[in-house]
Amino acid sequence: MTMRKTLWDHVFTLIVTLIYIFLMAPILLVVLLSFSGGEFLALPMQGVSLRWFGALFTNSRFYDAAVYSFVLALISAAVNGVIGTLAAIYVVRFAPTRFANGLRVLMSAPLMVPEILTAIALLFFFFEIGIGNRWSIAIQVGHILVTFPYVFLNVASALFNFDRSQEEAARSLGADGWLTFRRITLPSIKPGVITGCLFAFVISFDIFNISLLLKSVGSNTLPLELFDYLRFNFDPTAAAVATVSIVIAFAAVLVVDRTVGLRSLRF
Amino acid sequence: MTTLRLDTINKFYGALHILRDIDLDIREGEFISLLGPSGCGKTTTLRCIAGFETVTKGRLLFGSRDMTHAMPEHRDLGMVFQSYALFPHMTVAENLSFGLEVRKVSPVDRTRRIAAVLEMVKLTGYEKRYPRELSGGQQQRVALARALVIEPSVLLLDEPLANLDASLRDDMRFFIRDLQQRVGITTIYVTHDQSEAMVMSDRIVVMNHGVIEQCGPPRDIYEHPASQMVAGFIGQSNTLAGRILGREKDVYVIDTPEGQLKSLGRDGLKGEVRVMIRPENIETAAAENTLSGRVVKSTYLGGGCLVAVETPGGCRFTTNMPADSALAAGDAVTLGFAARKAWAFAA
Repeated sequence: MTMRKTLWDHVFTLIVTLIYIFLMAPILLVVLLSFSGGEFLALPMQGVSLRWFGALFTNSRFYDAAVYSFVLALISAAVNGVIGTLAAIYVVRFAPTRFANGLRVLMSAPLMVPEILTAIALLFFFFEIGIGNRWSIAIQVGHILVTFPYVFLNVASALFNFDRSQEEAARSLGADGWLTFRRITLPSIKPGVITGCLFAFVISFDIFNISLLLKSVGSNTLPLELFDYLRFNFDPTAAAVATVSIVIAFAAVLVVDRTVGLRSLRF
Repeated sequence: MTTLRLDTINKFYGALHILRDIDLDIREGEFISLLGPSGCGKTTTLRCIAGFETVTKGRLLFGSRDMTHAMPEHRDLGMVFQSYALFPHMTVAENLSFGLEVRKVSPVDRTRRIAAVLEMVKLTGYEKRYPRELSGGQQQRVALARALVIEPSVLLLDEPLANLDASLRDDMRFFIRDLQQRVGITTIYVTHDQSEAMVMSDRIVVMNHGVIEQCGPPRDIYEHPASQMVAGFIGQSNTLAGRILGREKDVYVIDTPEGQLKSLGRDGLKGEVRVMIRPENIETAAAENTLSGRVVKSTYLGGGCLVAVETPGGCRFTTNMPADSALAAGDAVTLGFAARKAWAFAA
């Protein structure tokens, strides 16, 4: 009995390890290759050096693209933090029962419609109304739209799990509706809002299709710049870019966790 | 003095008539229980008073002020919820402070009042704890303290003991009643537990299907129920259908399938009635009223025996016997009870 249990424990550990290797290996490989001393993105590595990071930071195209992506992602997260939260409050609290379910599915539609279709539709729309791909409006709207469901769904689930008698308690203690929302409801759904915004940021930083079709002339997001670069070059600069982009996404998660806390992501 | 008056309160959910003509006067300092099975409208009544449900028809008076349509925050009530509804992101002190801050009480007074109320619920020293760090009974007392610290005119409690285990529940009954009497606050208490209502209340309001079946002191409700529902819901009872033949002074003479019985009852009873006898009032000897039958079952309860007896007419009676009673299934037995211990009500 004990023997079989230990055996199963070993098998379980092995399976978990394999899953982690499967998930982490590509990331580790890319990070590893970015420190390569060789001329090509290939194994085995020929020596170790930081020269490709040097090449990256002297390459203004990558730098501009990284800043552009960062700003796009930040605005997407901020805007969705507001409208995603408001939408979730409406659907959970105020929508008539018979519409609530349909509305919830509709709000999550950007997740279900293929991203490329959303991009094409937006492209037609923005040219039709005369804005086209000027001033980065189209690409920003696209990013907000595609990342919207992450905030909406996270906040909606936080609201569903919230015990409304807390609000009634606050009211009976003399607080009006707005004060109750600010001091009681909002702090309780805050982890949902923050998790949603974080998802929105990371997804917006990484998406490709939307950016490819809607980008304005003369600006490039980091994933697009990387794709363009890889079409003609095959040196480890690409790996260095990927490493930097992983670090930024990771830093975002870490900073949010340390400053406001990610209770809903902890187990 | 009346602090709270419910004047023909009616409540509809669409076509569903949830509350029908609820009339109730609650005196200052009184402890009132709303008692009834689930779905009887007791919680809805409480929520109407608190302002969480709108009253479809009727008036709600606080003293002489009409509060029927006032917002919950303007009613000056303290409420304790079944789930406690403590604010999880606030410490005990912050939970208590919330209502005082809203009322613009100065920080010095806040500290003083929080300390005083925490002492009252025996939680001094717990100011910095979060609700999740407290046991169920402690959370319960914080909820009570939070409702009391604002010194409301009326305290509302919605099944506050339902989530506690049995022994703690018994302690809390006396704790809440004692606290209520010390503070002298008018209290409305919703429960489905008849023994809870019995122990704590000045008056019990028994509700069923959205109407008040009976309202009165616990002793009156227990000894003189107004209907079969009340008799059956509160304690154990034996009832027998019958028809009134006449009245000798204050004792009714009632014709039943088991022969003529004598029983007390409210004035003005006539026609079809039911006679109720509590098990503890039946003895195994002839008395003013005598029945004969056969023991069907005897159950040992520790402090005594519960003996079920069936009459030749097919009626079943349960009676309390001493623990050393030798009665066993099949034994023939004579049951007797005094006319003053029987109670008749309209069928």
